[in-house]
Amino acid sequence: MTAVTLSDAGPGRRGDSFLSVQDLRVSFSTEDGVVRAVNGLSFEVEKGTTLGIVGESGSGKSVTNLAILGLHDTDRTEMHGEIWFEDQELIGASRATMERLRGNRIAMIFQDPLTSLSPYHTVGRQISEVYRKHKGASKKESRDRAVEMLERVGIPHATTRVDDYPHHFSGGMRQRVMIAMALVCDPDLLIADEPTTALDVTVQAQVLDLLKDLQQQMGTSIILITHDLGVIARTAHQVLVMYAGRAAERGTVREVLTEPRHPYTWGLLSSIPRLGGSVDVPLTPIRGTPPSMLAPPPGCPFHPRCDYVKYAGPELCTGERPDLSPATGHGDACYLTLAQKQEFLGQIKGRP
Amino acid sequence: MLRFLTRRTLGAAVILVIIAAVTFFLFFAIPADPARLACGKVCPPETLAQARHNLGFDQPIFVQFVNWLVGVFVGRDYEGLGHCPAPCLGYSFVNHAPVFDTITDRMPLTISLTVGSAVIFLLFGVGTGIIAALNQGRPLDKIASVSSLIGASVQIYFVGTLAMYFLVYQWHVIERPQYVPFTDNPLQWAYGLLLPWVVLAIIFTANYTRMARSTMVEQLSEDYVRTARAKGMSGRTVVLRFALRGTLTPIATIFGIDIGTLIGGAIITENTFSLQGIGRLSIQAVLNSDLPMLMATVLLAATAIVVFNVVVDAMYAVIDPRVRLS
Amino acid sequence: MSARTRSALAVFAIGSLALTAACSQGNAGAPPASSGGASASASPTSMTDLFAPPKVTVGTADDSKGPSIPPEGVVKGGTVNMIDRDDYPHFDPARVYDNVTANFHKLITRQLTGYKRVAKGEYKVVGDLATDAGQVSDGGKTWKFTLKDGVKWQDGSAITSADVKWTMERLFAPFITEGPPYIQQWLTAEDYKKAYGGPYSGKELDTIETPDDKTVVFHFTSPHADANYALAMTGYGIVPKAKDTKEKYDKEPFSSGPYIIAKHTVDKSMDLERNPNWDAATDPIRGAYPDKWHLEFGFQALQVTDRFVADTGDDKKTLSFYSHVAAERTQQVVENADLQSRLLKQPSPYGDYYYFNLDRVKDIKLRQAINYAWPTQQIMQISGGPASSVINTTILNPSVSGWQDYDAFGMKQHPNGDLAKAKELMAQASDKTPTLVYGYNDTPTEERITVAIKNQLAKIGVKIVAKPMNTKTWYDSTSKVDNGLDMYWGGWGADWPTAATVFPVIFGPIHDGGYNQSHLNDPAVTAEIKRIEGLADATEANKAWGDLDKKIMETITPLVPALNNVGLQLHGSLVGGAEIDPIQWVVSPDTIFVKSS
Repeated sequence: MTAVTLSDAGPGRRGDSFLSVQDLRVSFSTEDGVVRAVNGLSFEVEKGTTLGIVGESGSGKSVTNLAILGLHDTDRTEMHGEIWFEDQELIGASRATMERLRGNRIAMIFQDPLTSLSPYHTVGRQISEVYRKHKGASKKESRDRAVEMLERVGIPHATTRVDDYPHHFSGGMRQRVMIAMALVCDPDLLIADEPTTALDVTVQAQVLDLLKDLQQQMGTSIILITHDLGVIARTAHQVLVMYAGRAAERGTVREVLTEPRHPYTWGLLSSIPRLGGSVDVPLTPIRGTPPSMLAPPPGCPFHPRCDYVKYAGPELCTGERPDLSPATGHGDACYLTLAQKQEFLGQIKGRP
Repeated sequence: MLRFLTRRTLGAAVILVIIAAVTFFLFFAIPADPARLACGKVCPPETLAQARHNLGFDQPIFVQFVNWLVGVFVGRDYEGLGHCPAPCLGYSFVNHAPVFDTITDRMPLTISLTVGSAVIFLLFGVGTGIIAALNQGRPLDKIASVSSLIGASVQIYFVGTLAMYFLVYQWHVIERPQYVPFTDNPLQWAYGLLLPWVVLAIIFTANYTRMARSTMVEQLSEDYVRTARAKGMSGRTVVLRFALRGTLTPIATIFGIDIGTLIGGAIITENTFSLQGIGRLSIQAVLNSDLPMLMATVLLAATAIVVFNVVVDAMYAVIDPRVRLS
Repeated sequence: MSARTRSALAVFAIGSLALTAACSQGNAGAPPASSGGASASASPTSMTDLFAPPKVTVGTADDSKGPSIPPEGVVKGGTVNMIDRDDYPHFDPARVYDNVTANFHKLITRQLTGYKRVAKGEYKVVGDLATDAGQVSDGGKTWKFTLKDGVKWQDGSAITSADVKWTMERLFAPFITEGPPYIQQWLTAEDYKKAYGGPYSGKELDTIETPDDKTVVFHFTSPHADANYALAMTGYGIVPKAKDTKEKYDKEPFSSGPYIIAKHTVDKSMDLERNPNWDAATDPIRGAYPDKWHLEFGFQALQVTDRFVADTGDDKKTLSFYSHVAAERTQQVVENADLQSRLLKQPSPYGDYYYFNLDRVKDIKLRQAINYAWPTQQIMQISGGPASSVINTTILNPSVSGWQDYDAFGMKQHPNGDLAKAKELMAQASDKTPTLVYGYNDTPTEERITVAIKNQLAKIGVKIVAKPMNTKTWYDSTSKVDNGLDMYWGGWGADWPTAATVFPVIFGPIHDGGYNQSHLNDPAVTAEIKRIEGLADATEANKAWGDLDKKIMETITPLVPALNNVGLQLHGSLVGGAEIDPIQWVVSPDTIFVKSS
């Protein structure tokens, strides 16, 4: 590992982060024009920790993670910036390099386990082929490994079920299969893209606990993409709130969930019910709709939906897009002063 | 699976008997008298009656049909000609041979023609479709689309006749198509049928290219294909092991139909290339009012189509484990 | 014997003209669709001169001795290939009545008599198995034949008079329905199968005598001057008594000819090898020069033509018995100078007519006016031009012995129709604006011809109502006595080249399915036919037939003579001795040989 000082603010690998994304820009050309799905996103993931990425649909969460694995459609996608995985730059890495990393050191779990597993192959085969491919194991070894993995993710009768097809499994079980498949090579980084969205609540909890357990056993870093702050609270160490292709706020779970600084985060937090809260209190959803990424609003992309523009100064909010500040630790991208933020948060918290 | 096959086989048998009956009765609906063929140039009514009797046409049509049907299962005796063992498809008074013998003599050619061209158009068509899908929107894709459009719009007698005229007779690029049994000499077998194979393939490939391309494009955007890539599977593995699997179902559907069509519709192909298969046999049967032969060729075509329908349904289950045969 | 037989057989086969183009004129009701270029210089009237009618006479005992007269530059040995569309329907000679099958049988079957080619266009009826063309006595009622020494079956056993007698007797058996009826009728009665049921029950036919192993005597009920012509038909080809398997014989013929069928895949291919027991010294007819014949079936006229034009590899040693140049290649072939040495041309030996239905078109003035007005030239253009047809003005085909050339209605002089003369006759007609129903075979060419006829006849006040008819049932429809038609095409081929098998048929008994399609029923004509049939002298009979032809045309006019089609055939460049037989209208195997290079 190369020693790089923290003060090195320019492009390049940031510190000794396990995964470091710097000024990532991803745009697709569509028939209607260029969609800037990710526009100057930076973040880091530390070894053995979980980074939760939250945001509305279209905020660029999934695109970012597909970009890490290089799974985007190369023909129609333009990517700029840097993605460092340890000392390997992933943008522009050769196809062979990427294929060696995928499923092996970086694995991914998708949202819908039904469509994400091949209906044509047994789960055992789908799991074992990853192991064979990356570890050069024999058929027998990889099959044993698949059974072992299925047992580890809590699938009963793994030795027989290994020969079943995905459609023979329930939704939760399928997601366990996905997880088994993702973890079969003991990856260093696991990207879970809304892994529990398609599952019912009790199963959600089981799956999240499973991920946590596995992380503790294997020291895997996890990027957990979700729009559910409850999931974040339960599993993540760090949180990245994304809005319109960029980070709106970043910090530890505690920082972001208890001391949120960005009006968008406030909005997110206000729109979920709290256990023990009065059911008579109406939830306040964020007004308006997420911006079109074809033509994002100038300045702070959240300003058309923000109630606090008048406090920060309309010319500021509609002028330049604010940067995430401070550069490390708990940061947010909003022109309100820290004092204003604390004041407004206090007001929000004070509401019944 | 067994229950499925039993049920479908029974259904197919019923269909075939119905087709046989319809063919049989339609044959007699044609005003021309088949016995006239076996009557001299000057054909007095007595001789015609004698000929009709010799051919068995003097019995009621229903009795004739039952005799024929019974013959298929247990064989039958022909006066003066001896026993025709089951499956007796009848005795051709035009060819002077049991129909079954002639059919089995011609069958290998038609099967060779069908299988050979099927292999070519399946591999080539699906291959082109995949390449086009992987190069969606690029020149390669466009070339594939245009050529498949051309291929789809031409006919065997057009391409075949042109190919024969120029490649064989004018430029002597390849020899006239000829059938050498595979067991005699596999190389000559392939060489002799190469031209019809290629011509048939040109025509049939188009369908497969288009079908493979469009389903492949769909498949490539499937979640599980993305999963496969996320697992680090190589590009080729992703395409061949994952995406291709999903394109096979629609391909199998049209393939089943086409194989049936090819066996049943070898008429034009065999005629174009002067090959002696089932197709030509069926033309001869029509021209000669050779009822037993006509029945056999019609039934053979029908059987081919029915059988391949069942095969396709069974294939679905093999291709896609989610499909249950019931 | 003739391809017209094929026509009757092919009636069912006309369904697809594209497929039957090979023997187009053989198809009843379908003048050929062959199109083609005109050799510009030849005027229609001179075309008959280009094709001198063949001369057929009766030969002597000397003529009957083998071997046959070899063609120029003959080479023995080698394998010759033959390609055609169809396999042969029968191998039992008793069931053969068409010219194509008969032509094939020259390779494996012998008769008592046969046609010996003496020179181009010159033939003699000679003894084949017999020492001569027959000894006639009793005013033509008794015919005696003596078998040659050394004539054998393929197993080496001698061919005896008992075999000949058996051959004739088995023709009466119920399972034989296809062949010619003449000898049977002459030996017994018109409905000969009632008179005798065949030899299989053990009963003999007492009108054939075999005084010894070599001698056969036929006792006919009436005189038949041309019995030796009749016996030359393949239908009277001999069958060995010892090897007769009745119905099955059609699959397993026993050779008396120069070759034996070594391998036969029905409708696909056949290989012939030499019959070691055939002796060229006994055979005045068959050259049998190649060692082997390889026959293949399943080739359309177009493919046959293209292969001969390309002339590569084994196709150089290939011929076709009956496949004509495909219509779509006619022009190309006729104009290609390189092909002329391999292009065979021969007008058809058949009579083709536009019959009047005399039951309905009763006014002879009308019938003659139509003959005068007939648009011959136009029909010729539509049906392929002068390269593929010649004008015919007689009822008998020029290839028939005794044919006399006459042109009763000036067709050759006025190929576009003599309208003045026609109008003159119409002025005398009972109905000056008659309407005639014209039935035609529903093919594109026939349709155009019909339009030409309709327009032309309108000029003389005759209104034609054209009735298209299904090709498949054409013959069945027009040969009904009550066919509801006034005019229709019809054809007939002589079974041997005398009028004895023409007039007694086309002006003979009238019944459904019969060939008296004009329904001519004139006592004078019938009497004259009977008289000539009874003549013992063949020359006298021939002359009388020729006179009758002219008389019928001039005094009754039951038909308009149609064009005579010219057959065009190609063959490979290493095939020698190929010519279209003017009597059979197919390429005879008798003179074929394979050139070494």
